[in-house]
Amino acid sequence: MNSISSDVIRGYNDTIILFLLLQHPSYGYEISKQIKTLTEEKYIIKETTLYSAFTRMEKNGYIESFSSDKEGSGKRRTYYRITEAGRQYYNDKCSEWNLTKEVIENFILKEDNYGSNQELS
Amino acid sequence: MEAIRNYLETMFANLPNTPEVLRAKNELWQMMEDKYNELVADGKSDNEAVGTVIAEFGNLDEISEDLGIRNVVTGTQDINRRQVTIEEVKRYLHESSNYAYKISLGIFFCIISPVGAILSEAVNYSDLIGVLFLMAFVATAVILFVHSSITIHRWDFLKQELCTIDFATTNYVHDQKEHYTSTYALLMTVGIVLCVISFVPAAIIDELDISFFGFDTDDMAGVLLFLFVAIGVFMIVLSYNINNSYTNILKLNNASTVSGNYVPSQHPETKYISPAAATIMSIYWQTVTCLYLIWSFLTFNWHYTWIIWPIAGIISGVLNSAFKKR
Repeated sequence: MNSISSDVIRGYNDTIILFLLLQHPSYGYEISKQIKTLTEEKYIIKETTLYSAFTRMEKNGYIESFSSDKEGSGKRRTYYRITEAGRQYYNDKCSEWNLTKEVIENFILKEDNYGSNQELS
Repeated sequence: MEAIRNYLETMFANLPNTPEVLRAKNELWQMMEDKYNELVADGKSDNEAVGTVIAEFGNLDEISEDLGIRNVVTGTQDINRRQVTIEEVKRYLHESSNYAYKISLGIFFCIISPVGAILSEAVNYSDLIGVLFLMAFVATAVILFVHSSITIHRWDFLKQELCTIDFATTNYVHDQKEHYTSTYALLMTVGIVLCVISFVPAAIIDELDISFFGFDTDDMAGVLLFLFVAIGVFMIVLSYNINNSYTNILKLNNASTVSGNYVPSQHPETKYISPAAATIMSIYWQTVTCLYLIWSFLTFNWHYTWIIWPIAGIISGVLNSAFKKR
């Protein structure tokens, strides 16, 4: 198992994106690049996944989009910024994750144990 | 970069042309372009960069819900558009140009068919030879018409079925059409000029009253008139048909498919200030044509009745700007 199943991480794409938008407003590619770097290339988000998350969260009022040429490169991009509702949602997701982690943790064998467990089966 | 663009266009080719879809396409394109540029800046080869961008693109299925196009992507909604391949398009363009040559050559023969009769009259051969010439020309024309219409017939589906072409094909045809524009303009202009000045040789010969290789010069005048008109019409019909074949292909993609970036802009219906104005404008050219024919046939002054056209053109322009709703 060396890649993340998209089914599992799907519920947390929003959290990841909102975390990055908490630092500063950003645009599509920058976010996907930051995700790649922060996870040491263990998770590479697909463009369609990212776009889908943007539209969904914008509809729910967690983020807002605006067009800007921040880098002065002469190219206008769609930037996203987090809203108050977004911050609230992010906090909720964080506590949800902590709870999830706590619950699931009970059912996960320790690293060396599950190594030997695999050999058995 | 072109490969990525083509990939994206192909993915979106059959989606409906809604603001949501267009926005998604633009956004995804932005991200792909940024990623590609950075990969190339990092020293990746063009192929590698294109490969990575496409591999990490994902699946349109994922955004279909947001776009309200779930049905289209999963194909439960039947959008029955026949995909016309670039090979088919090339073959169509080739055969269309053959068709255009045959049709215009046929018309050419029809117009010059009386020439044989005139010439045989001039050299005092029997009328029979003249008639035979005429028949031969007309027969050739008919063969050309029939043959060409049979070969072009199998492309009827382009007009009868809903068809679509992909982005690369659209680009190809658009380039070809651009390429043909100068030829088209030249053939059209020369063709029209030839038709307009067709009476000039006749007038000159009439004026000079010279004999020409023993022929009666009056007959020569007639021959030249027919020849001028025939060549002129040949050029007009040929270029018009060839140009039309490009437009026919480009028209396949309409506003409801996204890959049609070169859709000839939909002509918004012209709005007039009043119903009366609309009526006048709708019968304007027919009236002018009638006037032209009546005047010409009554007086037989064909050499200056044509003046009605430029005048009618100017009046039409004036009426249009006066009647059109802004």
